[in-house]
Amino acid sequence: MIKAHQISYKHKEFHILDSVDVHLGYGEFLAIVGPNGAGKSSLLSVLANEVKSKQQILFKDKNISDWPIIELSKHKSKFSQHNSNDIPLEVKDVVMMGRYPYFDAQPKREDHEAMNHMMYETDVYHLKDREYNTLSGGEKQRVHLSRVMAQLQNDIAHKLVFLDEPLNNLDIKHQYKALEIIKNFTRKANSAIVVLHDLNLAVQFADKILLMKSGKVSAYGTPTEVFTAENISTAYNFPCTICDHPITNNPMIIFG
Amino acid sequence: MTISAILLVIIAVWSLNTGVYDFDGKSAFEVLGKVIEGDSGISLSDKYVVWEVRASRIIMAILIGSMLAVSGTSLQGLFKNPLATGEAIGLTSGATLLAAIAIVLGGHFKQYLPEMVQFSLTGISAFLGALGAMLLVYRISTSAGKTNVVMMLLSGVAITSIGFSITGFLIYLSKDEQLRDLSFWNMGSLAGATWTKNAVLAMVILISYLILLPQGKALNAMLLGEKDAQHLGINVEKLKKQIVIITSLMVGTCVAFSGTIGFVGLIVPYILRLLFKSNYTFILPLSAILGSILLLIADTISRSIVAPSELPIGILTSLIGGPIFIAILIKFKKSL
Repeated sequence: MIKAHQISYKHKEFHILDSVDVHLGYGEFLAIVGPNGAGKSSLLSVLANEVKSKQQILFKDKNISDWPIIELSKHKSKFSQHNSNDIPLEVKDVVMMGRYPYFDAQPKREDHEAMNHMMYETDVYHLKDREYNTLSGGEKQRVHLSRVMAQLQNDIAHKLVFLDEPLNNLDIKHQYKALEIIKNFTRKANSAIVVLHDLNLAVQFADKILLMKSGKVSAYGTPTEVFTAENISTAYNFPCTICDHPITNNPMIIFG
Repeated sequence: MTISAILLVIIAVWSLNTGVYDFDGKSAFEVLGKVIEGDSGISLSDKYVVWEVRASRIIMAILIGSMLAVSGTSLQGLFKNPLATGEAIGLTSGATLLAAIAIVLGGHFKQYLPEMVQFSLTGISAFLGALGAMLLVYRISTSAGKTNVVMMLLSGVAITSIGFSITGFLIYLSKDEQLRDLSFWNMGSLAGATWTKNAVLAMVILISYLILLPQGKALNAMLLGEKDAQHLGINVEKLKKQIVIITSLMVGTCVAFSGTIGFVGLIVPYILRLLFKSNYTFILPLSAILGSILLLIADTISRSIVAPSELPIGILTSLIGGPIFIAILIKFKKSL
């Protein structure tokens, strides 16, 4: 799906990313975790071709910057951490933006279907005629999730979605709903790279975990491999205990 | 869309019939019909007034109004802010300044230029002036894809002030005849309409609209921010270059042919935003028509309100535009 080797990214002599390797297969859900300032968002930006790095990023065996912009937008989409607060449009217009790669002047029937479907899934359908600017923070997040996922509703096999902290401001029910939507997406042989803060949610949903600290990968593997008490407390510089989740038997992290 | 187009036609007919000249009881519309049919029975002066004066002026109002409104709307899309217009950010002053230089000093270096350039010297200078101002303002106010509104408006103020002082100096230098030309720039008027000018305007408008009008989606996506627009398959760098060059071309051409007619690029998108929010897929094409309607009404009023004399149109548009600018400022007080 996507392969990146030895990625480094500097801002004014300060290493934000230092030789990071990322490899993601079809149908994989990769969660990037780590403390603040570890370079999680920067890594996502580099992988999603927002900022140029010197190293090649291979997306479907082709350098990502060689892809035509319009074609690429049908294969991958990205949910940004800082979404604009001021978009003087109605909610349905914002979600419809996700369908822009597919129509010229007038949205087609399948564009309306994709839009309505994703608005149902993210539970914003009842808000569709509201003005975006009047929504709460969590509602805005769901509108953007809806837009980003509607962008990938097509027949292309093996799509990739990048999500930078999609759970910010969401209540517990919508956190699970959002992760379910992403998980369902990856079940159809698509892939997802998601920056998460809640480690216990990452354990439940992700196939692979990339733990970062100070621009470097400090651990990579399945949740059980990465989430050891030693790994976590070193990375976060905070004591923690790991025990078995009483129902799923996955590791459960308790801080403090 | 259709409704507004029909409205435009109705206003054009009304405008054709408005004026001081008396056609011996016939309506101007009848005379126009005869002119088009090639009827030789109409008097030469009737024909001249209807065809060369009124009809050409109406067409010019339609073309100029449309271009000013569309340039305003696209600038607002580029800067993601409803305050960005040709006047506010100094495009108009840039164009006026270079046009003024061409008028006053053009005589000294005209003979060294190729004939094509000589003929359209003021037009080309106005375009270059607008483009220069545009690039300067964009460089100053935008970094990493984000526009600082305060910087945008202040650099507009700076450019306007430079333009004003140099134009003032040129007025001081200029001879009587040039002085008349110069004051024409500052007031704005459609009285100089001819069919040759209209042909040039029509060409500019055709090229510009072919490129700009399909960009409604792209401008909507820009509301998300440049990076997210790129993720939606929009070539942001190309879009920005297109808007910068085409709006400069449109503003420059308008200034070259009709002087500075202010605020059309502000009023039209403002009215449309009240109806359609900021959905550029509607407001971009509609501003092309509403701009024509607005300027045609303003021009018809300006030439009939103090008949038989006429009021410079720039006075009228600024009179409506000023309060609207203040209204927008108050509305956006919090977000500035």
